[in-house]
Amino acid sequence: MTIPISTYLIYLAISIALTIWVGRTLHKNGRVFLVDVFHGNETLADSVNHLLVVGFYLINFGYVSLALKLGYLVETPQGSIEALSFKIGMVLLVLGGMHLFNVFVFNRMRRRANPQHHPPVAPDEFTPIQQQEA
Amino acid sequence: MLWLTVLYDPECGLCRRAHEWLAEQTKLIDLNFVPCASEEARHRYPQLNHDLTKKDLTVIGDNGAVYFGPKAWLMVLWALTRYREWSYRLAAPELLPTTKRVVSLISQTRYQISRATGLTR
Repeated sequence: MTIPISTYLIYLAISIALTIWVGRTLHKNGRVFLVDVFHGNETLADSVNHLLVVGFYLINFGYVSLALKLGYLVETPQGSIEALSFKIGMVLLVLGGMHLFNVFVFNRMRRRANPQHHPPVAPDEFTPIQQQEA
Repeated sequence: MLWLTVLYDPECGLCRRAHEWLAEQTKLIDLNFVPCASEEARHRYPQLNHDLTKKDLTVIGDNGAVYFGPKAWLMVLWALTRYREWSYRLAAPELLPTTKRVVSLISQTRYQISRATGLTR
């Protein structure tokens, strides 16, 4: 196998493995948040969780695929490792960004669904209320 | 808390506009609007200092808790689905002094603002 081909194959193997690992983490740990957001409706939570993870995979695999092309010829093993490290670094950054964005979305959904109940400020005084005639 | 009574100034155009805007917002708790120092307000809250409610926005909870001025504004925000988070943010110790200053300024100049923006009817 030539050096360029093996570089591409190693890139694909590592990128796909990383994406699947992050996707599974998101799937496993995001579920708890969603169950909370949907007030214990587990069917709905699982459904939304699945849809989110599919979106995550599509975007990441799309990026991995688009970023495959090197644009120059790798001739030495050293060049191959350097190219791999750059490409995988980019994939990691995109994965990290996507992952943090997902966590942010989950947290925001949870806060929206469970508003705090105590008033933001303490009252100045208390006054009796005249009961209204029905 | 299930509802808040808002004692607003019916003579100020800005307040009427705010009232219309509030009526359109989705709420986490109900808001009842009563003109300040009106017959109805005096009847509902016989022991309240009604002269004070003419000076600044007043909000009263269903438990009789009274909030004046900036606190009343924060309570109104707190009642709205979209702005509850903001009510906590603006009431945080770092921001509360600024919130109070801005709200008092708007409150004191409400007639001038109404006139300048053509909200007087």
